[in-house]
Amino acid sequence: MQYVIIGNGVAGTHAAESIRRLDPQGVITLIAAEKDAPYCRPMISMLLEGSAGAHQLPIRGPDFYDTFKIDALGGDRVRAIDVAARAVTTAAGRRFSFDRLLIASGADPRPIKARGLHLENLFFMRTAAHVMAMLRVLPACRRALVLGGGLVGFKAAYALLRRGLAVTLLIRSGHPLSMQVDREAGAMILAALKKKGLTVRVQAEVTAFEGGATVTRAQLSDGSEIPCDLVVIGKGVLPALDFVPREAIAVDLGVVVDQHLETSAAGIFAAGDAAEAYDIARKTRWVNAIWPEAVAQGRVAGMNMAGRPTPYKGSLGRNVIRIFDLDVMTGGLVNPPPDARYTVLQHHDRRRQRYRKLVFRYDRLVGMVLVNAIEQGGVLLSLIQGEIPLRVRREALMAPSFNFRQLLPATA
Amino acid sequence: MKHPFSENTITEDGRLMLRKMEKDQVETVWERFSAQQPQCGFCEMGLSCRVCNMGPCRVDPFGEGPQQGVCGADADIIVARNLGRMIAAGAAAHSDHGRDLVEVLAAVAEGQAPGYGIGDEQKLRRVAAEFGIATQERAPAEIAADLAQAMQEDYGTRRKSLTLLARAPRKRRELWAQLGITPRGIDRETSEMMHRTHMGVDNGWQSLLLHGLRNALSDGWGGSMIATEVSDILFGTPKVTPTSVNVGVLKADQVNIVVHGHNPVVSEMLLQACQAPELIDLARARGAQGITLAGLCCTGNELLMRHGIPMAGNHLMTELVIATGAVEMMLVDYQCIMPSLGAVAACYHTRMISTSDKARFPGMTHREFHPDNARELARTLVAEAIENFSRRGEVYIPVAPAPSLGGFSVETIIEALGGSPAPLIAALKSGQIRGAVGVVGCNNPKIRHDFGHVTLTRRLIENDILVVDTGCAAIANAKAGFKVAEAIRYAGPGLREVCGALGIPPVLHMGSCVDNVRILVLAAALADALGVDISDLPIAGAAPEWYSEKAVSIGAYFVASGVTTVLGPMPPITGSLNVVKLLTEGLADLLGATFAVEPDPEKAAVLIRRHIENRRAKLGLPAVQV
Amino acid sequence: MKRVVVHPERCVGCMQCMLACATAHSQSGVLFTAVRESPQPRPRVHVGVGLYGEGFPNRCRHCDPAPCQLACLPGAISRDSASGTVLIDPERCINCASCAMACPFGVIRYHPEHHAPLGKTVAVKCDNCLARLRQGRIPACVEACKTGALTFEEADAALKRQTDAVARSVSRTAEEAPPAPGFALLTAARKSQLALKNP
Repeated sequence: MQYVIIGNGVAGTHAAESIRRLDPQGVITLIAAEKDAPYCRPMISMLLEGSAGAHQLPIRGPDFYDTFKIDALGGDRVRAIDVAARAVTTAAGRRFSFDRLLIASGADPRPIKARGLHLENLFFMRTAAHVMAMLRVLPACRRALVLGGGLVGFKAAYALLRRGLAVTLLIRSGHPLSMQVDREAGAMILAALKKKGLTVRVQAEVTAFEGGATVTRAQLSDGSEIPCDLVVIGKGVLPALDFVPREAIAVDLGVVVDQHLETSAAGIFAAGDAAEAYDIARKTRWVNAIWPEAVAQGRVAGMNMAGRPTPYKGSLGRNVIRIFDLDVMTGGLVNPPPDARYTVLQHHDRRRQRYRKLVFRYDRLVGMVLVNAIEQGGVLLSLIQGEIPLRVRREALMAPSFNFRQLLPATA
Repeated sequence: MKHPFSENTITEDGRLMLRKMEKDQVETVWERFSAQQPQCGFCEMGLSCRVCNMGPCRVDPFGEGPQQGVCGADADIIVARNLGRMIAAGAAAHSDHGRDLVEVLAAVAEGQAPGYGIGDEQKLRRVAAEFGIATQERAPAEIAADLAQAMQEDYGTRRKSLTLLARAPRKRRELWAQLGITPRGIDRETSEMMHRTHMGVDNGWQSLLLHGLRNALSDGWGGSMIATEVSDILFGTPKVTPTSVNVGVLKADQVNIVVHGHNPVVSEMLLQACQAPELIDLARARGAQGITLAGLCCTGNELLMRHGIPMAGNHLMTELVIATGAVEMMLVDYQCIMPSLGAVAACYHTRMISTSDKARFPGMTHREFHPDNARELARTLVAEAIENFSRRGEVYIPVAPAPSLGGFSVETIIEALGGSPAPLIAALKSGQIRGAVGVVGCNNPKIRHDFGHVTLTRRLIENDILVVDTGCAAIANAKAGFKVAEAIRYAGPGLREVCGALGIPPVLHMGSCVDNVRILVLAAALADALGVDISDLPIAGAAPEWYSEKAVSIGAYFVASGVTTVLGPMPPITGSLNVVKLLTEGLADLLGATFAVEPDPEKAAVLIRRHIENRRAKLGLPAVQV
Repeated sequence: MKRVVVHPERCVGCMQCMLACATAHSQSGVLFTAVRESPQPRPRVHVGVGLYGEGFPNRCRHCDPAPCQLACLPGAISRDSASGTVLIDPERCINCASCAMACPFGVIRYHPEHHAPLGKTVAVKCDNCLARLRQGRIPACVEACKTGALTFEEADAALKRQTDAVARSVSRTAEEAPPAPGFALLTAARKSQLALKNP
């Protein structure tokens, strides 16, 4: 059996392991754009912050490919998939036949439209290489501008602030993490960031960057300008799918997959940031480009590819961040439509400095935002993922004393 | 629509003040209760023992782990010992309260207690006569001196039986003598309980429980009864007085002073000071319209009974009233005062003053009251409270006070009946009134605040059962509006007619927790009038929301006196089914009364009604099936 | 292989297991001195409250596969193959709380720990008392529990007991008294009190 895996991110890595565990003989070829060994992408912001060293990032040891008998090609990108002939061709001109193919090519940073994008010191923050490049110029920088209040922009701003730069965060919505949290938690987070010295400009966009060779300032849509010598663009990611033939493989935002992570083309699978699977909370297809989903999808895709049919229930957007003195954990559908099917419970306990918002669709939990007291958040997330009908009162999930016991049937 | 905090309390002022406390980020007793969960099952079952240092020990209720403590005590012994110590503590609290009053009586006799005097001379003479003291042509001070002396003897070790036991029906006294539980001395029985429960002394669970009953009786017919009688002698026997309850009794435009705790020796002096013209003038000079004195818990009940002083709340309200921001000063003496109050007050401008040498609290300033300095110290403190008026921040008094009626001492009830219990007896005989129940006791966060008291009381009066109440229960029922003349509309037809004719509400406020002895005295009087024992009467007791050790003692002396008593929260006895069986069944044969435990007040009402009809049938009175 | 088995119906909420666990993971191993250590040792088993005031010793199940292990960003979570114990390496842990997000039982906590670098907050959870097992002792929580809510036994033995109990319960002729009628009384009282609070 010939297995080809596009991408050596965590999805591709877990897929390769799953396949090898089930198929000791099959040939596994892994084609990766990045030269580095598989590493933990979420940790690159810690690299930028200085709280982790480069040696902590790899998720597998140097002998991983040898041990698992994987033919790994780094530094090459897949250019095309010939679905009928069942082969892929790469930028370097190589061609590989496959019986089973996994598209785990991840996502690339979404580009922005502005003048002056050719200037130096404008960065995305998607790869370890991006961060290493930032670290090289960092000593000379004083004023950072971060575009985007999503997870990337947010973590970049936090990291640069910890590095001692003056940081301005420019976001389109009213508060950071607008995709993850609701307005109340967003306000709490914004207040915490501002207290620590972050400048935040809301509802603003950059129209142009200006400077000599490197950037010295940014022009905004409202006519104002911000001096800056380092810019990080964190305006989201788009699945990296330019090589996917859309007439043969269904693609929406990501590659559309069924509950076995198989695409519309038989024997071709997709997993990770490139894939668009069913979202349990939204009840529709969605790209949840987060680490734990890449892990789960890669594992399950590998099992299915190796001939063990394993269903994947669906993905769930979720996140946990520790930011200055706040811990925030979110998941599922956080801002439901104003619809009689949904019940929202929220409570800001100012004395205990704890905020909790829970969203229910009828008798099932579908979304949550926790600020502080996050240790047992996984219990709630498992209720969302499992779509468990609740036998307890919804209010019980809000109490500080809520814990796993309350979900078990009462003893006689 | 469900209001926030309606899980915690049924009262509107409670809900609103809880919301204010949350907004102000002040911790309450309910949050601390929640943080304690789960509460240890060993202790809740009475199966943990810390009596000696060979321990601490626990017995496994599931039969596999240790079944005995290190000394060899089994579950029955451990549970009985623990219950015994609860009774001892409760009896001690009541009796010590009585002792302090006796000391004031003695000081009054010596002229060493300025501000105090003899409030009811007739009662002084009557009670003195019960103690065998000559009263003919003797000055009150002389009689008081002798009476104080005689009462102090009852506290000691020289008597064979307490003096006021004579008030109990003869049959009842004979029963006690047969069982060997006639109380001999007030302090003696408590002391002996501490002895018996020491490791290696009384290891008979029945004998421990019997002594517990004796200890409780030394409270009911001893310490508490002396407390109530001496309070009446010093401060006057309560008469029917209109009053009001809930946080709305505090006034936004007045200096508000709240008294909390138990002993009227302190609160009566505060009342005098609050009525002093020069202090009222001082209050006006500081921008207030006057001075409002309000009570919390039993000392509030004492003032309410004798003077109609309004009550700001009961046990679970004590933190909440501070959050009104309208309390210039709260003075406390002892019992049921949460040590959290100092921290709550620190969030507002309220000054907290502790007054008893026996009772210190974190965050309170200690200003000790004694009979010789009480009057002056009270005045000084009221003046200080007035100076605090200008330091008020936001004031939040979200309700109007609920009117109520108090002051139903036994003397007053007899008077309301026309001079003798005959009308009440006639109504009982005819069945217009089926029976009477004393709804007493505290609050407990285990039970929705006031829900137990109010629900039980409503069901009882609906079924033509007269309710008398004391303590926190009395405040709950007053807040619920059961103590105005119009409240007869909640009563069944028979009760409505009788109360309407007499001009009394269907629920009679009989006082503080030591005043539970008034219920005993009334029951004894009814029993004597009918020629039966107390246990034959169609009466019962109920403590739907009890928490304190004092309540255990009260429950025990009620049952020992023949009044079947239903408890709301479960006491720590489930570790021994033998003890449970004795208390809920076996005592019927021994004492003609038992305990029952039923947290649901609806079910408790049915239990009580069934018991009452059962007693009616046994007396040959018209009875119904419940 | 023996493992810790939880019998929820026996838990009385005394929290002795928590004290014993924290003490067992302290530097001194003695309760009185353990509470004064820096960092203070913390329990890895957590007695939470149920809906009726009952207790429940919530401890790591050492799941296989372990969601926390899969979720861990720096790869700090691994399995000891001999015992099946899932272990967190405090040196590798970056305190990101991804494991908390993944754990469906809520058994992980975050605090300084004397095996971790000084002052570093790390993820901490039950380690099956491997150190005690190597000394021939049983897990600390089991040793402390006097009601049999926590036992240390072969999984098969525990399963068999449960199967037998279920079989007896459906048998028409078998009569079984409740193991602790007093505890059943207390539970009934607690349930009644709680039901009254929900209008």
